[in-house]
Amino acid sequence: MGRILRRGEGSYDVVVVGGGHAGIEAAAAAARMGCRTALLTMDVRAIGRLSCNPAIGGTAKGHLVKEIDALGGVMGVLADRSGLQFKLLNRSKGPAVWSLRSQNDKRLYPLYAQELLLQLPNLDIIPATVTGILVRHDRVCGVKTEDGSVLKARAVVLCSGTFLNAVMWTGLRAVKGGRAGEPPAEGIAELLTSYGLQRGRLKTGTPPRLAAESIDFHRLEPSYGDDPPQPFSFRTKQVRNRIVCYVTHTTPETHEILRRGFDRSPMFTGHIKGRGPRYCPSIEDKIVRFADKSSHRIVLEPESLGSNSIYVNGFSTSLPEEIQEEGIRSIPGLERAVFLRPGYAVEYDYFFPWQLTHWLETKALGGLFFAGQINGTSGYEEAAAQGLIAGINAALQVQGRGTFVLHRSEAYIGVLIDDLITKMGDEPYRMFTALAEYRLLLRQDNADRRLMRYGYELGLIDAQAYEQLLEREELLQRLVATLQSERAAPEAVNAYLAELGESPLEEPVPLAQLTRRPNVSLAALLALYGERYAWALRYPQVIQEAEIELRYHGYIQRQLREAELLRQSEQIRIPEDFDYTRVRGLSAEALEKLQRIRPPSLGHAARIAGVSPADIAVLALYLQ
Amino acid sequence: MYRNDTICALVTPPGVGGLAVVRLSGPESFRIADQCFRGKQPLSEAGSHTIHYGRFVWGEELIDTVTAAIFRAPHSYTGEDTVEFGCHGGIVVSETIVEALIAAGARLAEPGEFTRRAFLNGKLDLVQVEAIADLIYAVSAPGARLAARQLVGGLTQRLRQLRQQLIETAALLELELDFAEEELEFVSRTELLSRLEQAQLWCQQLADSYRAAEVLRSGFFVGCVGYPNAGKSSLFNALLQRRRAIVSPIPGTTRDYLEESFFLNGIPIRLVDTAGLRQTEDVVELEGIALAEDVVRQCNVVLLVNDVTCGVEHSIELFRQLRERFPEALYAYVQNKIDLLSDGLPRWSPETLGVPIFWVSAVRGDGIEELRAWLGEQARRNAELGVDVLINARQARVLRSVAQALGAAAEALRAGLSAEFVAADLRHGVQLLAELTGETWREEVLNTIFARFCIGK
Repeated sequence: MGRILRRGEGSYDVVVVGGGHAGIEAAAAAARMGCRTALLTMDVRAIGRLSCNPAIGGTAKGHLVKEIDALGGVMGVLADRSGLQFKLLNRSKGPAVWSLRSQNDKRLYPLYAQELLLQLPNLDIIPATVTGILVRHDRVCGVKTEDGSVLKARAVVLCSGTFLNAVMWTGLRAVKGGRAGEPPAEGIAELLTSYGLQRGRLKTGTPPRLAAESIDFHRLEPSYGDDPPQPFSFRTKQVRNRIVCYVTHTTPETHEILRRGFDRSPMFTGHIKGRGPRYCPSIEDKIVRFADKSSHRIVLEPESLGSNSIYVNGFSTSLPEEIQEEGIRSIPGLERAVFLRPGYAVEYDYFFPWQLTHWLETKALGGLFFAGQINGTSGYEEAAAQGLIAGINAALQVQGRGTFVLHRSEAYIGVLIDDLITKMGDEPYRMFTALAEYRLLLRQDNADRRLMRYGYELGLIDAQAYEQLLEREELLQRLVATLQSERAAPEAVNAYLAELGESPLEEPVPLAQLTRRPNVSLAALLALYGERYAWALRYPQVIQEAEIELRYHGYIQRQLREAELLRQSEQIRIPEDFDYTRVRGLSAEALEKLQRIRPPSLGHAARIAGVSPADIAVLALYLQ
Repeated sequence: MYRNDTICALVTPPGVGGLAVVRLSGPESFRIADQCFRGKQPLSEAGSHTIHYGRFVWGEELIDTVTAAIFRAPHSYTGEDTVEFGCHGGIVVSETIVEALIAAGARLAEPGEFTRRAFLNGKLDLVQVEAIADLIYAVSAPGARLAARQLVGGLTQRLRQLRQQLIETAALLELELDFAEEELEFVSRTELLSRLEQAQLWCQQLADSYRAAEVLRSGFFVGCVGYPNAGKSSLFNALLQRRRAIVSPIPGTTRDYLEESFFLNGIPIRLVDTAGLRQTEDVVELEGIALAEDVVRQCNVVLLVNDVTCGVEHSIELFRQLRERFPEALYAYVQNKIDLLSDGLPRWSPETLGVPIFWVSAVRGDGIEELRAWLGEQARRNAELGVDVLINARQARVLRSVAQALGAAAEALRAGLSAEFVAADLRHGVQLLAELTGETWREEVLNTIFARFCIGK
């Protein structure tokens, strides 16, 4: 069982610093893989806090949660348990982009997270502020805390979120801190920089919170969850919708009011230097960049069943408080809104992620892993995905078991980490399905088929769950084979086809071929045969997967071929000490980036922004 | 890895051709070239990007009159000192030139070695380098009037525009997928479809302009075909208006024809004389056609030569069969030997023939000017590019595959598939295009979305 210690000392296999979504996954994975693990956090009650939007998932992010779950991570379970409303986004699109999103109880999520950690073996939770990293021979060997104690560690996973040298801004008023009411972490960033790790500065923001009773919901458009709602985790049997969200819009008047505060905006006056995410702009950013739009959408999301706090989705801002209030009150339904907390922007240090390996270990210091916002990502899901991979690899390293890296063609997590390392982005990284070139392979429906085997081999998925997966897999193979070999007779299916308005069969065709017709439902088709396919019909998930695999066979095959080509290009390894200056004909930009990133293979090199196919051709000649 | 010697090779397609170019590249290029070239000044003293007319000799023997194009490092295809000799086509001349250069100290280039050197010397803006190279080939044909400025950068710019269009279309598709929660007005399917179809058409047209580019580069092929004794050879000589010079015919079992070239409207016309096709019992010997197939296949124009003394319709059957088999070529029905007609020209203008008819006497010269003028006009028209850029075979191939991918994307859209499938085909097309533009795409799609749409919670 896990335990909370008052103060830490002694010796651990893995020390995880930070109790956010990255830290939780890292600590849980390392502990469950049998490592003596310590989770250090400034405040135990802050473990699992949903600092911004109390929601998990969304497009591409939902995929990440499914993948984390399939690998044996905890985010899916926590999201299900604390879920208030569930929606499968993109339902009208193809299966590759269906993405689950949940609204979550801001109060319950951290409680469930803490409860879950406390049930884990090998895990000590220690309330402490880390002030130093201990290094010996370019290897991390422990951490030092504020009270002067030392924890020895064979691996350290740093998940410090937005806390490194963090400053919060509301108007021109700046307060040190990584989250409302919580102090920053100072000193560590400078220390790491002294070991050669380079850092930059980013910015993110959060909207104000309003008191529910001060909002006139009757006049607003409600937004409901799915019926029936689906859970994230394969472990969860059932979830329920418990709340309704409401939609409203800003008005020209709102924009006018907010404009009056632009001279006191820390963004526009240059006080904030860090770059913010373009996909999650502040309301002031939206007004400036899209001046022709007279209205922006606002969603009012209850934060918890146990509180009156309403999250104003779409109104992230760092304008002065009085301007925020006046602006909010010009929005329909919010005329009498009472502020619980104003919006603010937070600026923080991050370390350029190209300084990491694909298993998230820093290249500068052995045994030191980074996960989450410290790597310049945004989002709980992105953080959790990295935390899981960092925790797994920290444990593997301690146990001398090699490394665990997911490829771009097998998981969004692979895309995420590979992008972080090979791209030199200067804004917080968010997962998008557009970033996955093998999007049709990386579906949420097959996340467990893609990844659960790894989770099982790592010791994070129990045998029972894995065996169930194998059974399902076998059933799927059998069903697909059956559909390919057995033929549908015209008399058996023509009535059904007529019902759909589909052209009738003239002669028998394989069932697989019929399944490829977009309007045909495989379940309905098999049901025409009474008991004959009952063995398959009992498993709706298998039916759905067979339908997807058959219907999009051509596309899926092509992406598999492309992925194979990519893997081949990654077979051409670039020696770690390769001297790029020897390569005649590399562009200056390519030379600079290749020297900095030092990609492990030609395939990776090709993905680096600024390295052109010409540069790759030249490089290839030298590597042959 | 990188050998720093001087290499040479024939860089135009081997075999029968009106023109050929032999490239010499490396540090010793000018020294070696001067041993073989006799012009107004030594090539080693010539400025970069100049063309010199002169004689190519091996010892004392004249091999050919040639043009020598000078490129000084790094401003050449390979980035090295380079001389390109434009000589008359045919295997004999070009091979002799290569041999002479090797004797003077060059090494025969390995396949692809010029391009490899271009890579290694950082000369690989593929599109532009190719355009420059193409320009050189075209200019080495005397009379070709293509302005360098028109070519260089023109294609790059157009491909960039195409790419930009595709990225924007992709952004519209991705917008639907990644920003499902946003309150956005998505672009209609009709609009998307029309964008895809336009881009596909554009690629296809550009790819098709390769044919015109080929005419400028390699010449306009005109074949003389007909039964034995129709007077093909005399027509051949009459059109040529000169005695056959320099290039000897290459006799061969499979290529039983002669080739010569001359210029009309500044375009090299490559005139090919085929062996006569025999006729047995009024049935054209198909084997004979098979023999001429090689020739006819690459012909832009087929002159079907008929001995008018055997009757005006004597070769109609042959004509029909040829046209059926090679429908893409232009045809003219040439009534030869009108000087032997005692009763003047017969009245014969069948409506069904659908091709121009020329009444000529190859021996006396009647009607030859008209025929030449017509050929010149056809050549000019064929060399007219729908676009003002020249593309080469590789670019045409890539563009065709891009067009195909865009076609698949449009098809997916028409079939009502969701945007991620359309996007998969579109992405495939942009990736193929990267072979020409050398640009990756992922960031840009999202950048386009962020720039154009108000996104975010």
